Amino acid sequence: MITITDLKKNFRTEEVETLALNKVNLTVAENEFVAIMGPSGCGKSTLLNIIGMLDNPTEGSYNFAGHEVAGLKESQRTQLRKGNLGFVFQSFNLIDELTVYENVELPLIYLKMGKTERREKVMAVLERMKIAHRQRHFPQQLSGGQQQRVAISRAVVTEPKLILADEPTGNLDSKNGVEVMNLLTELNQEGTTIIMVTHSDRDSHYAHRVVNLFDGQIVTESQNRAVGAAI
Amino acid sequence: MFKNYFKIAWRNLLKNKGYTAINIGGLALGMAVTLIIGLWINDELTYNSYYKQKDKIAQIFQSQTFNGQTGTGPAIPLPLEPALRDGFGDNFKELMMASWTTFSYMRHGEKNLSRSGNYMQPNAPDLLNLEILKGDKNGLEDINSIMISKSTADAFFGDTDPIGKVMKISNQYDLMVTAVYNDIPFNNAFNDTDFIIPWDHYVANQEWIKNSLDNWQNNSFQMFVQIADHTTFEKVTEAIIDIKKNSDEDVVQYNPRIFLFPMEDWHLRSSFEDGIQTGGRIRNVWLFGIIGAFVLILACINFMNLSTARSEKRAKEVGIRKSIGSQKGQLIYQFLSESFLVVLFAFAVAVGIVLLSLSGFNDLARKEIAFPWSNVTFWSIAFAFILFTALLAGSYPALYLSSFRPVDVLKGTFKAGRYAGLPRKILVVLQFTVSVAFIIGTFIVMQQIEHAKNRPIGYNREGLIQVPTFAQDFEDKTDLMRSEFKKSGAVVEMATSSSPTTRIWSNRSGFTWEGKPDGFQEDLAWTEVSSEYAKTLGLKIIEGRDFSRDYASDSLGVLINATAKKYLGMENPVGKLIKSTDEEDPDPPMKIIGVVEDMIAQSPYEPVKQGIYVYDRYNNFSYYNLRLNPKKSANENIAIIERVFKQHFPDIPFEYQFVDEEYGKKFAAEERVGSLAGIFTGLAILISCLGLFGLTSFVAEQRTKEIGVRKVLGATIFNVWNMLSKDFLKLVVISCFIAVPIAYYIMNGWLQEYPYRVILKWWIFAIAMLGAMGLTVLTVSFQAIRAARQNPVKSLRTE
Repeated sequence: MITITDLKKNFRTEEVETLALNKVNLTVAENEFVAIMGPSGCGKSTLLNIIGMLDNPTEGSYNFAGHEVAGLKESQRTQLRKGNLGFVFQSFNLIDELTVYENVELPLIYLKMGKTERREKVMAVLERMKIAHRQRHFPQQLSGGQQQRVAISRAVVTEPKLILADEPTGNLDSKNGVEVMNLLTELNQEGTTIIMVTHSDRDSHYAHRVVNLFDGQIVTESQNRAVGAAI
Repeated sequence: MFKNYFKIAWRNLLKNKGYTAINIGGLALGMAVTLIIGLWINDELTYNSYYKQKDKIAQIFQSQTFNGQTGTGPAIPLPLEPALRDGFGDNFKELMMASWTTFSYMRHGEKNLSRSGNYMQPNAPDLLNLEILKGDKNGLEDINSIMISKSTADAFFGDTDPIGKVMKISNQYDLMVTAVYNDIPFNNAFNDTDFIIPWDHYVANQEWIKNSLDNWQNNSFQMFVQIADHTTFEKVTEAIIDIKKNSDEDVVQYNPRIFLFPMEDWHLRSSFEDGIQTGGRIRNVWLFGIIGAFVLILACINFMNLSTARSEKRAKEVGIRKSIGSQKGQLIYQFLSESFLVVLFAFAVAVGIVLLSLSGFNDLARKEIAFPWSNVTFWSIAFAFILFTALLAGSYPALYLSSFRPVDVLKGTFKAGRYAGLPRKILVVLQFTVSVAFIIGTFIVMQQIEHAKNRPIGYNREGLIQVPTFAQDFEDKTDLMRSEFKKSGAVVEMATSSSPTTRIWSNRSGFTWEGKPDGFQEDLAWTEVSSEYAKTLGLKIIEGRDFSRDYASDSLGVLINATAKKYLGMENPVGKLIKSTDEEDPDPPMKIIGVVEDMIAQSPYEPVKQGIYVYDRYNNFSYYNLRLNPKKSANENIAIIERVFKQHFPDIPFEYQFVDEEYGKKFAAEERVGSLAGIFTGLAILISCLGLFGLTSFVAEQRTKEIGVRKVLGATIFNVWNMLSKDFLKLVVISCFIAVPIAYYIMNGWLQEYPYRVILKWWIFAIAMLGAMGLTVLTVSFQAIRAARQNPVKSLRTE
């Protein structure tokens, strides 16, 4: 599904130039669950942002489901992203002014889906995430775990091929963290590809494969034998 | 989609109530100013819209040149009428002679009122588009008829039918009402025409008019025309321009040019300078139009600045929306719909402000503007105005906010760049430049008015009243009334005059005197007065002596003013003769007996015109001038004067004007402009300060942590206040230095239009600058001190 070849990313400010990613090569197959790990500043999030088409690489090639993404304009990236990708962030990133229901509905609105169909989809996903009873609440009225469930609901409501999770349990206590990981695993088992950046060894055990980054380069890749071993 | 945009916009507005109040309040004020100015401009531009044939109606105007100075005006001589009818008749659909609008006493039964009206030819109802409510449209055919307006009919006849009733006019003529016409609406020429009397009646009953029938030099009448459908004003003017010159060789020296002055121009473009049309009220339309546009821009700047200042708060939302599929265009739409919503609310508030202030504004601007609730055009324009304002205010924030990169904002590392605040600063500078320029402009207008008001006027206008005497009844009673009034104890002196003290009604030429240069074309302001004129007015004699009842020869005497002495080129004018150049003139020459100080009778901004005061031998007076007894109150005096007046003229309404009030009216136009400009300036400053206030609160909020750290390190409240205020003060100082030269240039140009003008002093600019800086410090300080007083522990913990 994803083929990344010789990917480079430079950040340039007035004084310094930082090489965030250096000749990264990575392939992710459909239905895979990949964890990206590494110390702070190693380029994990940069890689995730490029995979998520929020950012463009400086050099190299990024092929997503047969489309070359590197060098696309922002509007083209947005088009490709729509419905194909879902994001789950460490800090949830819900829109404070919208209710739970409205937050989850938003990607469907951007897909120009009809109202009835939207309603069905949103309710289905909220029920599945066991958050339907909170649909009229605003994000600040929910606990962290609940907010992350809303964020996951929003990520999956378009039934994307790929979910990108950036430290999804970073802001959660362990009980809620486990719940979120179980949800991601479930989604993966149903066919969604998941790429997750994490600091947590425990969370990385939910993945099929762990990619270790250091100073912008992939240093090791390891297969997890028993998925869900941490449970 | 839009529902979603509006929903989020609505919730954002509710969440930040203070910000919303500043934003909507400021915009509403700006829009209200623009709206009210828009209504005023519309009113000005639609003047005379009552007249369906507006584009075909004109007044005949004349330009003449005296000593190289060209004067232009509507006064024309009588023989022009037959000359136009006979020689150029097919150019016109209608030609109508008219008198000047005058006040006349009107009486029916016990009712006795004074109303204004004209003598006009019988085609007046056609030319003036009169809507005849009762009676006959051809009612002016009979020489002893009168047409009256509906309001006049109501005042005299109430519910009874006025047609066929007889009214006494000027306490002298019995005229029969032949028609009642609907009053001409306020915002139109002739709206003060309460009655129309046949022109032939005017000619038949006034000896001087009969004598003027073939006199090309007596320019004392008006003519209105409607041109034929097949021609244009320009073509007709071209045809008739030299008609007077070709008709009388005596006038050739004044180079008289006869032309059409279109109705379209009467209201807004009625100024002529040296024979050239130079504008008029249209200048005010532009002035207020520009003020309105600037005030709106100021309000929009607030919106832009507050929106972009809050960008960090909205950045996260932009990032999320982009990451889940929103295009940049969609975000632009979203922010524009937000600004549309704000503008829509602001418009509703603005309409409220306009409704509340419209009657006060009408009083101030002397208008009768009504809010155009049912006018579809107004609402269409209003909608366009809302859209335009939403775009103006919302486009920059929309472009700015929608351009955030999701990667930056979602990582939480987003901070506006070092130069992100620059456009905001430029906008603040723009705002204060406009405000400071407005302050200076208003200051100078007020100063100029004050300057002209303080100008010595040459006589004592306090405790002086004038009583109109527009009827034959007053003839030959001057001495009797003078002694009666004096005897009553309410009046210390009385004199008559042929024009009111504050006006010149007559200008004459056709004189010669010793030492008059060859080819000199004289033009003298002409007032006929009784013996005690100078004494009554308190007019100072600077050479020679006043009129005296002791010298019978004074009936051929004249007083001249100081300017006339120079104008006539006389070193020792007393005793010199002024003769008529008309050899057939039966009057003997006039002898100058004294020189009086210049008195301002025309514009207080212009030099005093050369004038002569002639002893009134023929009862040509139109006013009694009464010097009130200073030992009694004005009310007491007036009551006594009225009683005496009524004893002698029971059938004439007693009317009077205080001369100081009449004089004060000369400043009305400038004062109106001044007060309106003052109010709009005040609002402009308020709006700018409102924006600054909002901006300071955001800056204080943004720098909370910094302020906390500084305080921990030992900064005092003053240090923090200084730090926060300095940034804004710097901007305002820059504004001042931009505004001063601009304001100087514009206001200096404005002042050039007034020959008697104030000299621009540096301290006007200094005061305006200090005022703006003082206001800035006050505005900024509130938030700055609040931020500085916060407990640093609190602000550091919340970070």
